[in-house]
Amino acid sequence: MATHTQSFWTKYIFSQDHKVIGAQYLIVGLIMAAVAGFFAYVFRYHLAYPDAEIPLWGTLDPRTYNMLVTTHGALMIFWVAMPILVAAIGNFLIPTMLGTDDMAFPFLNMLSFWVFFLSAVVVVTSLFVPGGGFDGGWTLYPPLSADAYLNTNPDFWKALFSGGSLVILALALEFASMLMGGINFMVTTINKRARGMSFSRMPILVWFMNFSVVTFMFSVGPVIAGALMLLLDRVAGTGFYDAYRGGDPILFQHLFWFFGHPEVYVLLFPTLGVMGEIIPTFARKPLFGYKFIIGASIVAIILSMVVWAHHQFVAGINPYMAVFFSVGTILISIPFAGIILSYVATIFGGNIRLELPMWWAVGFLATFLIGGLTGLYLGSNTFDIYAHDTSFVVAHFHYTLFPITFFGFFAAFYYWFPKYAGRMYNDFLGKLHFWGTFIFFQLFALPIFFLGLNGQPRRMADYTAFETLMQDWHIQFREIATISAILLILTQFIWLYNFIVSLWKGKRVSSDNPWQANTLEWQAPSPPPHGNFEVYPEVYRDPYTFGVVQVNGTKRDFIPQNEKLPS
Amino acid sequence: MNIFPEAVSTYAHEMDKLFWLITLFAGLGFFITIGILIYSLIRFRYSPQRKPMTFRGNTFREFRWVALGMALLAFADFYVLYDEHDTWDKMMQSVPEEKDLHIAITGRQWNWIFTYPGPDGKLYTADDVIINEPNSTIHIPIHKNVVFDIRSVDVIHSVFLKEARFKYDAIPGRTITKWVQFHRPGKYELICAELCGVLHSKMRNFIMVESEEVFQQWLDELYAGTNE
Repeated sequence: MATHTQSFWTKYIFSQDHKVIGAQYLIVGLIMAAVAGFFAYVFRYHLAYPDAEIPLWGTLDPRTYNMLVTTHGALMIFWVAMPILVAAIGNFLIPTMLGTDDMAFPFLNMLSFWVFFLSAVVVVTSLFVPGGGFDGGWTLYPPLSADAYLNTNPDFWKALFSGGSLVILALALEFASMLMGGINFMVTTINKRARGMSFSRMPILVWFMNFSVVTFMFSVGPVIAGALMLLLDRVAGTGFYDAYRGGDPILFQHLFWFFGHPEVYVLLFPTLGVMGEIIPTFARKPLFGYKFIIGASIVAIILSMVVWAHHQFVAGINPYMAVFFSVGTILISIPFAGIILSYVATIFGGNIRLELPMWWAVGFLATFLIGGLTGLYLGSNTFDIYAHDTSFVVAHFHYTLFPITFFGFFAAFYYWFPKYAGRMYNDFLGKLHFWGTFIFFQLFALPIFFLGLNGQPRRMADYTAFETLMQDWHIQFREIATISAILLILTQFIWLYNFIVSLWKGKRVSSDNPWQANTLEWQAPSPPPHGNFEVYPEVYRDPYTFGVVQVNGTKRDFIPQNEKLPS
Repeated sequence: MNIFPEAVSTYAHEMDKLFWLITLFAGLGFFITIGILIYSLIRFRYSPQRKPMTFRGNTFREFRWVALGMALLAFADFYVLYDEHDTWDKMMQSVPEEKDLHIAITGRQWNWIFTYPGPDGKLYTADDVIINEPNSTIHIPIHKNVVFDIRSVDVIHSVFLKEARFKYDAIPGRTITKWVQFHRPGKYELICAELCGVLHSKMRNFIMVESEEVFQQWLDELYAGTNE
C-alpha cells in the first residue's frame, strides 16, 4: 500500500493512480456521450419532423445535419466507447483483478489520459472553427473529406485549422493515447500478476482487455497512414486520393476499413469480458468454456484482419475479390457465436440470482444477438448490394454498438459500483433505468430496420424530395424511432441521478464482496485505497469456483481465488 | 406496408428470396437462443436449496451443444453463400453480350448526368446526347438489357434504384459497368446512396421505364431537340 502523501493536484488531477485515471476517462467519456447524444436528438427530431423548429436547437440546415451525424458517429466510437470500455474499465479492473497496486507504468498511464483529454479538446474545437465542423461522414471518405481544399495549392494554415483537419489530428492524438494505455495493459498483465496467478487463472476480463488492445495495435497502422495522406491532401495539396492526379479514393477505404472493422472487436472484447465476469457470478456456476473462449477470440482477431472489404461490396472493388471477404465475414461469425453460446451455456443449469447487473447482462445477450444475426444479411455480398448504405446498416450497427457500449458499460457500472464507490446504488431506480433503456432502445432501432429494407438510404438530411420514401408508414416509423430515441436519452437521467446521489448518500456496503464473487478486486477494501490491497493476495485457483461446496464445515457456493483451503 | 419496394427488375425477386432465406436462418438462431435463455432464467431461478450444475465445457461431451450451435451457423452461412452465388454472378460479374441500350450515368454535386449514344448508336462518340439537369427524367425500354457506365466527376456517389435492387457506387477515376433489365413499366426515383455533400438529400432524378415504341419516340424527340 502506497503511503506517500498526495496533494489535491497529484491525487485528483495529475494522478498516477489507475482508479483515478479510470474515473477521469469515464467522466470525459460521459461528457462526450452527452454531447453525441444531444446531437442524435437534434438530427433524429429533424428526420421525424423535417420542417419543425427543434426545441433547444432551432432550425437545422442540411450542412449542419451532415455535421451532426458525422460528429455523432465519430464521438460515439472514438470518444465514448473507446475511453469508457477500453480505458476506464481496463484501468479500474486490470490492476485490481490481477492483485497488484497499480499499472506497470503509472506515469505513462497519466500521460495517456492527458493526451486523450487533449484529443477531446481538439475534436470539440473542430466544431467551432471558421467554416464549421467536419461534415463528410465519420468514415472520412475522400474525395468528399478532402474536397474543400482539393486544389494543388491550399492555404496551409487555413486548411489546417478547418473542421476536417482538426478531426484527423484529434484522431491521431486519441490513437496515440490508446497505444500508451494499451502497452500499459499488456505489460501490467504480463509482469504484475499476483503470486500464483498463472495465465490460465486470470479472470476472462483481463484476457479480453488484452485482446482488445492487441487488436487495436495490429489494425491501427494502416489507418494512420491513410489519415496522414488525407491530411496532406487537405493541407499540402497532394493528390493521394485525387483521381485526376493519379490518386485513388478507394485506397482510403481499404486503409480505413482495415482498421475500422477490427475496431468493432476492440470495443466488443471489453464488453464480452464484463459479461464473462458478471454471468458466472450471478448464475453461481463456473464460466463455460474458458479456454475455448480464449481460443475463439484469437481466431476472431486473426480473421478480423481479412474481412474489411465487406464494407465495400458495392464500392467498385473487383467482384471476384468480394467472395473472399464474404467468406471471411461469415467465418468470423462462428467464433463469436461460440462465445455468446458459451455465455448462454453458463446461465443454463445455474442458480440464477437476477440482480441488476445480471439484468444488464441478459439484456446485452438478447440485444446483441439481433445485432449479430442481422450481420448475416450484410455479410452476404449479394444482399448487401441492396442493403448497403440504407438504414438497415444503421439499425444493424446500433444493434451491435449500443449494447456493446451502453449495456456493457451499465452492466459493469452496477456490478462494480459497490466496490469502487464503497456504497450501494438504488436498486429500484436501477431497474427502472434498465427497463427504460432496454425497451426504448428496441423501439428506437427496430423501425429503422424496416425503413432500411424499404430502401431508405442513410445519411440523408430529409426524405421529402423522394415521394416513395414519404409513405404514411415511413413517416410514422420515423416518428416512433425519434420519440423512442428521446425517451431513451431521458431515461439516462434516472441513471445520472442514481449515480450522483448514491455516490454521496448511498448505503455503505456491509461487505467487501457483496456479490460473493471470486476475483481479487473483491478482496480489496471498498473503495480500494491508493495501492489497492493491504496485504497482496496470493492466488490458489481459477476465478470461477462456484457451486455448493463444503468449506471449513460451512456450506458456501463460492471460493475466492486467494482463499487457501486446508489440505 | 410491404417490406420491400415493388420488385421491377429481372434479379429483384432473387434478392428478395435471398432475404427470406437469411431471415429463416437468422430467425431460427434468434428464437432458439432466446428460448434457451428465457427457459434457463425461469427454470433455474435462485433458490437456496438448488444445487447448480458445475460443468465447465472442457470435455467434448459438455461442449457438444455449443459446437452444434456453431456448426448450424456455419451450415447456414455457407448455404447462403452457395445459394446467392448465381445472383451475385449475374449482377456483378457479368454484363450481357447483347447490350440493347448503353448509357453513361455520371454523378456530380448534385444531380446525375446521363449520356445517351447519338443516332450512330455508339457511346462516347461526337454525337452523344447529354442530359444534365436536376430532377430530369430519362427513359429506358422495358424487357431490354440496359447497360450503365457508372462514373463520377467530383466525389463518390452511389446509383440507387431501389425497385430494381440496383446499387453501385460512382467513383471518380473509374468506370463501373453494370446492367439492369426492367420488367415492369413505371417512373422510378433515382437516389444517391452515398453522402456526397450538402445537397445529398436533394440529388434526385427519375427513370421512366416504358415500351420499346414509346421509348423510341422519346429518343427521336431527344435527338431532334439537340439538332435545333
